[in-house]
Amino acid sequence: MNQFAIRFTIAYLLLIPLQALVFDHMVLFNVAVPFVFIYLIVMLPVTLGTNVSVVLGFLAGLGMDMFADTPGMNSLSCTILAFARKPLFHLYTTMDDDLAGRSPSAQTMGSASFLKYVLTLSLCYSVLVFTIEAFQLFIPELLLTRIVASTLYTFLLIYTLDSLLIRRREKRL
Amino acid sequence: MNELILFFRKNSKWFVFGFFVVLSCTMLFNSNPYHQHLYLTSAGRAVSSVYKSGSMLSSYLNLRSINEDLNRRNAELQAEIAAQNELISTFRELGYTDTLVADSGVRHFDFIVAHVINNSIARPFNYITINKGSKAGVRPELGVIDQNGVVGIVSNVGSGSARVISLLNPNFRLSCKIKRSDYFGSLVWDGKDPREALLEELPRHTVFNPGDTIVTSGYSAVFPEGLPVGVIMPDNNEHNENFFTLRVRLLADFTTLGNVQVVVNNYRAELDSLSAGEAEEAKRKPFGN
Repeated sequence: MNQFAIRFTIAYLLLIPLQALVFDHMVLFNVAVPFVFIYLIVMLPVTLGTNVSVVLGFLAGLGMDMFADTPGMNSLSCTILAFARKPLFHLYTTMDDDLAGRSPSAQTMGSASFLKYVLTLSLCYSVLVFTIEAFQLFIPELLLTRIVASTLYTFLLIYTLDSLLIRRREKRL
Repeated sequence: MNELILFFRKNSKWFVFGFFVVLSCTMLFNSNPYHQHLYLTSAGRAVSSVYKSGSMLSSYLNLRSINEDLNRRNAELQAEIAAQNELISTFRELGYTDTLVADSGVRHFDFIVAHVINNSIARPFNYITINKGSKAGVRPELGVIDQNGVVGIVSNVGSGSARVISLLNPNFRLSCKIKRSDYFGSLVWDGKDPREALLEELPRHTVFNPGDTIVTSGYSAVFPEGLPVGVIMPDNNEHNENFFTLRVRLLADFTTLGNVQVVVNNYRAELDSLSAGEAEEAKRKPFGN
């Protein structure tokens, strides 16, 4: 648990500025936005209580909002995503005990269910963010393209990030 | 009592969730950019220092295009100076110097040079962060321009950084007119393409051609009159009964913003005191459209 707190803090301090400085500038064709920082929510261990997840999710969104000047948009999406994380996780796997205190990854969950899990979270997040955006400024022809493109882009980058982390862990072992 | 506590403990996740949802929604629906707390914007100290170090690394990347723009602008200004000098000498020759009233001595506009440290173009409401704040004299509601045209308006100011509402933000309406005519309308971004915006509320009898330049009208105290904003694009015949809506290609390239200038209007206080009677009206339309 304590180890997770340290890992989350490091990931937070790295991913949020990285998202603001790098990934937010990697928007493709003005439609595909890579929300790599939701890895902060992907990495929450499934045994973590919902209360703590929601608080951490909100903090991740708040940090992103401060950087991106989108007050409330990412906070709301991240809060909802962190709340819905556990039911979504159980759609694909039931092995809670093996994963006690460990972050979901392709290594701990198995590639297939991890891929589905990340894809679902990416989709949920894109839908949430772009729907909230649409309440402020609605451009119907862009909404669907943005959701689909961003989901796939986010999914791809998070999976890449996860595979990079795995390889490093193995090397150390 | 015990049952109540038990109830709360059992359903605590719903309460925590609800609390944060309400908190996020409060931030979300407080959409007035001037009312946001400084530390929740990119002009806050921690966030702007991250952006400053990021921009130190990346500011070299588009120096070439910035340099070209500056050279072009420099040439334009030199041509303008030459024309003005000619005009002055004409007046001298006519002997008007004795009878003309001396200028009051205060320059109308001052410019603070700043560097863009963060910029977005892909969101529906875009903001820019610059590396000059209250220490350099930046205040809210000052205009921001770059060498090509209008960029935005300052909304939140920290000590060493400020956040600018980009022209690519539907909260920002800019009063513009067609160059060499006095037909004016208001320019607003429609959220689709970062290179284009719409000039709305242009009277139906306006005479214009595609390719005409759109400049600031100077009707608000924020921007001087005649700053270039954009060029009318061909094939835009959208109109309703009374007004034209023109599609305008913006002159400022928001994808590669580098150095910008904050426009300080030295007669601002005077103009503000004049319009104090219309304060209520101005609050609803801060950019005087």
